Amino acid sequence: MSGVHGETLLQARNLSLSFGGVKAVSDVSFDVKKGEILAVIGPNGAGKTTVLNLISRLYDGQDGGSLILDGEDFTRLPQHRVAHLGIARTFQNTELFEHESVLRNLLIGLHRHRRTSLLGELFFDPAVKRQELDFRRRAEDVIDLLDLQPYREQAIASLPYGVRKLVEVGRALCLGPKLLLLDEPSSGLNPEETEGASFWIEDINEDFGATIIMVEHDMNLVSQVAHRVLAMADGKVLTVGTPDEVRNHPDVLRAYLGTEAG
Amino acid sequence: MHFVFKTRYGQDLDLFKHRGQRFWYGLLALLLAAAPLTLSDFYLGEAAWVFIYAVAGIGVMLLVGYTGLVSLGHAAFLAIGAYAHAILMQHGWPLPFSLLTAALLAAGVGFLLGRPTLRMTGIYLAIATLAFAAVVEQVIVHWQSMTGGFRGMVVPKAELFGLDLSRPAPFYGLCLAVLLLSLWMALNVLRGPTGRAMNAVRDSEISAQSMGIDLAHVRSIAFALSAGFTGLAGGLFAHQLGYLAPDAFTLLLSIQLLLMVVVGGLGSLHGVIFGAVFLGLLPQGIALLRDLLPPAVGQIPGLEPGVFGLILMAFLIYEPLGLYGRWRKIRQFLEEFPLYRHATHKRQRSYLRTGRVR
Repeated sequence: MSGVHGETLLQARNLSLSFGGVKAVSDVSFDVKKGEILAVIGPNGAGKTTVLNLISRLYDGQDGGSLILDGEDFTRLPQHRVAHLGIARTFQNTELFEHESVLRNLLIGLHRHRRTSLLGELFFDPAVKRQELDFRRRAEDVIDLLDLQPYREQAIASLPYGVRKLVEVGRALCLGPKLLLLDEPSSGLNPEETEGASFWIEDINEDFGATIIMVEHDMNLVSQVAHRVLAMADGKVLTVGTPDEVRNHPDVLRAYLGTEAG
Repeated sequence: MHFVFKTRYGQDLDLFKHRGQRFWYGLLALLLAAAPLTLSDFYLGEAAWVFIYAVAGIGVMLLVGYTGLVSLGHAAFLAIGAYAHAILMQHGWPLPFSLLTAALLAAGVGFLLGRPTLRMTGIYLAIATLAFAAVVEQVIVHWQSMTGGFRGMVVPKAELFGLDLSRPAPFYGLCLAVLLLSLWMALNVLRGPTGRAMNAVRDSEISAQSMGIDLAHVRSIAFALSAGFTGLAGGLFAHQLGYLAPDAFTLLLSIQLLLMVVVGGLGSLHGVIFGAVFLGLLPQGIALLRDLLPPAVGQIPGLEPGVFGLILMAFLIYEPLGLYGRWRKIRQFLEEFPLYRHATHKRQRSYLRTGRVR
């Protein structure tokens, strides 16, 4: 397990959020180290995706707690500023730009690196042209990593689901993230594609140096790639540890099976 | 079929994708430039209308087709451009500066309109822009010292460095030049980061934001660009009318502008041109229709808006991709001729987008 340093990248403290009377997440605290892959597991409704949404600041009006990335507090930052900190995410059911080509989707991922002004873009001055060429070179690195070459010019609407999920990961990678949030990368994938997922998750972690938090149900995938696992149930943290520790933890077994561990 | 084999990134940025395109568009530009030599003044005037509608249509398309925001108030931007240009010309400004300032003024107003309407989409945004148009109309009516109120105002003759541009042929040239410049600038925006950000906002606001796109800013910029092009068209519109009065900029005009981009084909600049040709020819078509129909039907005063509404509905139901979409289907059919599959363009629904937060 290379690349894991002792330094903490993300500190989440006492995250809480309720929808009306339902406490979706209450008092969740955890740390993520630089270079680490942290998997978040738990039964349906445990609040896993809500934790991701809180970190990416999708939900405003969180009830309490604090979020610190690399020493910078972003608990109250607007959603679009979070990307500029270097936090990228994917969505469980993919939220791509449907009418655009794969390449243009990836280029939108590069938006935070834009240095040109609207006036320059109206006249497509040399700076804009240089930037566009540079963006394409960067997007090409991601296309290479995820083997998206055959789909470069195709519209998203015409792609199979597995490829869409890859494009979404690619778009998040184009952002150049320090922290990548993956919401169920294997949901809707066939067994072969899921196996592929374990490879690209490790590639992203090692080649791009991205720290990853992933919500995942597939325990095989989790034990293959995750350095640590955080188990949740009913909006609370059950335990944190290595995949094997967590899998055999009595509280986790109780949450999944509903009975005393035998 | 023409496949472009790309060997360098620069090919992505080229305005013309291959030599064939360059040839045909070049030929078209040449024909349009040579048209005043052969066409009569009447047809040149009609063509100028088409060009003016197309410039305004670029503005509407940037907002409606590329950013996914509906506007029923674009006649107001046309009016702002027209009045600003006419007033500046009266004060002796040279035509290019006056036209540019009018466009910038309309863009500024558009930018300001983007802020309060930030959270609105669909029908609510349509109503808000409709209200905005009504406000602008009232301002024009009541600001008599500037606009002449209901009596209207005469638009100074178009002239540039002593050259008279008000004759049909030179005015046709002016409109064509403005259209080509506008098309070029719109294409530049669309192939750059701002254009992509607009597309992103249209397709998924939530992931646009998670990619670091500031929704409020992009929407305001889209409104500003849209209003700017429409304001630019307004300046030419003023010359073409010759006399400005508030009743030239009614709700019907806003609907016509929207109709133009929907009928032409949302999400493409080709659609703007198709739509502008359609809108330019429509009054003649309706005039013909009036003669053909029995007098009891043909002479109904409100026939025009009714026909516009019917056409809009027909396109939304039967050809949502507009004239340009139809043209592409026909072209694909011819290119693939014996192999064309009937189901190629069958419309299908996608049910994947569940679990959305909003």
